Amino acid sequence: MKTVDCQGRTVRQINEAIRRLVDAGEREILVRRPGARHNLAVGIASDVAITIDGAVGYYAGGMSDGVRLTIRGSAGWGVAECLMSGEVVVDGNAGNGAAASIRGGTVVVRGDAAARAGVGMKGGLLVIGGSCGYMTGFMMQRGTIIVCGEAGEALADSMYEGVIFAGGRVAELGNDAVVTDATPAELAEIRAALGRHGVPGPTAFRKVVSGRKLWNYDKKELEAWKAAF
Amino acid sequence: MCGIVGFFDKSDASGRIGATILGMLEALACRGPDSSGVALWGPAADGLVARVKLGEGADADARGREVVRRAAGLARVQGATLEGSLLRLVVTKAEPRGLAAAIEAVGPDVEVVSIGERLEIVKQVGAPANLEAEYGVSRRRGTHGLGHTRLSTESRVDLSHSQPFWAHGTADLAVVHNGHITNYHKLRRIYEQDGVRFYTENDSEIIGLYLGRKLSEGLSLREALEASLRDLDGSFSYLAATRDAFGFAKDPFCLKPLIVAESEHAVAVANEEIALHAALPAGYRAREAGARAVAVWEVPEPARPARPRPRRAAARR
Repeated sequence: MKTVDCQGRTVRQINEAIRRLVDAGEREILVRRPGARHNLAVGIASDVAITIDGAVGYYAGGMSDGVRLTIRGSAGWGVAECLMSGEVVVDGNAGNGAAASIRGGTVVVRGDAAARAGVGMKGGLLVIGGSCGYMTGFMMQRGTIIVCGEAGEALADSMYEGVIFAGGRVAELGNDAVVTDATPAELAEIRAALGRHGVPGPTAFRKVVSGRKLWNYDKKELEAWKAAF
Repeated sequence: MCGIVGFFDKSDASGRIGATILGMLEALACRGPDSSGVALWGPAADGLVARVKLGEGADADARGREVVRRAAGLARVQGATLEGSLLRLVVTKAEPRGLAAAIEAVGPDVEVVSIGERLEIVKQVGAPANLEAEYGVSRRRGTHGLGHTRLSTESRVDLSHSQPFWAHGTADLAVVHNGHITNYHKLRRIYEQDGVRFYTENDSEIIGLYLGRKLSEGLSLREALEASLRDLDGSFSYLAATRDAFGFAKDPFCLKPLIVAESEHAVAVANEEIALHAALPAGYRAREAGARAVAVWEVPEPARPARPRPRRAAARR
């Protein structure tokens, strides 16, 4: 395993050092003293295993394809945004917009995720071990979110497709979100996903999907205009 | 974008609050290069401390003497020193609104930037490093403090438009804000009809004035922060503190970041974790505040600086 020390380096120098090791064929990289800085380990198009030994700022692991990233601390806004494939694990809590717009791969937040986790997801899996904040799954288009703890207001607001499994209390469903029963096969999949990542979760989950009423818009619908104004 | 930071020392009234806030602010300097400032709550003065902007381009010494003369009409002046662009005036107890009005009558660009028993605000155009050079911020001790680095989006860049904002007229109350109060103009019109004077075109100024009015109606800081979630529109994460309490509020849509870490000894709040990292030893647990989050911490009684005894009582002993 090779080590990259962040102390005394700019973010660009840190990412260049990581990239050089990846290009040289290194399979495991430890990033030390990250100091909660932004944009660490972004754009990694390799299945290299990177461990960041502490808290990170915004967009850690973003725009990556295949990376296996572990963050031994909390993460700021937009962790793993636009992930194409691979796996990003946050041992602590995550800020707003965790796993925003991911297209594939798995993002695991062992602690709590703040507002708009999984916003605009287009695929992949987001596992939240703790609770999630306001508007989780907002405008989600595909993929799966599993929330083991409580969910904040406006859960699954305006989602197109995809599915959210909520293990705890839901403060309030978002626009056009509906609750259905999870099938035994889906519950088995949830258990398997949680087991894979060692995330303890409840046994029962509610399934939240799009009601699809927002898919089509009827301009003669008086109630829609009333709600808009 | 703006960087906001706050630190609350739960245990020690003589902690190095200035160095802590400055360190947090320097970590966030990239969020706003236009101006920077700190509000620090230090040992209680025997009376009030006022920080006064003497205006631009004028003869600072002459204006300073005139400020002292006017203040002396309302209270006994115990000290006056010029630090950077601000006069530091120590006076015996006086009604803060009347004291500020008397001082500001010296000239249209003379402005009281803070008054308090414990609160002192220093702020300026430029990066946080200049604050240390001009005001020796890192030497200051106290229980809690706020800091701000500004990225100006609407109003002008000068000392008056910098934050923290003192809640003009309310001793010891100050605010730092990241975001945009969208009903600012409407609220301002209402306040101006009540005779409230605004010193800037900065929407953040209204938060302190709002809280000051709520406190004067008898609300606690927590109640005032909770009320602000109903009365203020737009995006906001803001921190507010009084002589004896420190807190924050966050808008219902979570549009602005606010990261909180609390340990047995301290609370650190900022809109990026990099500032918490600068203030706390390793091992803290950071968490983003949720929608409509309000939290308040009170200075514990033993650490609370005693209000100075009235002089007559001291003389009788």
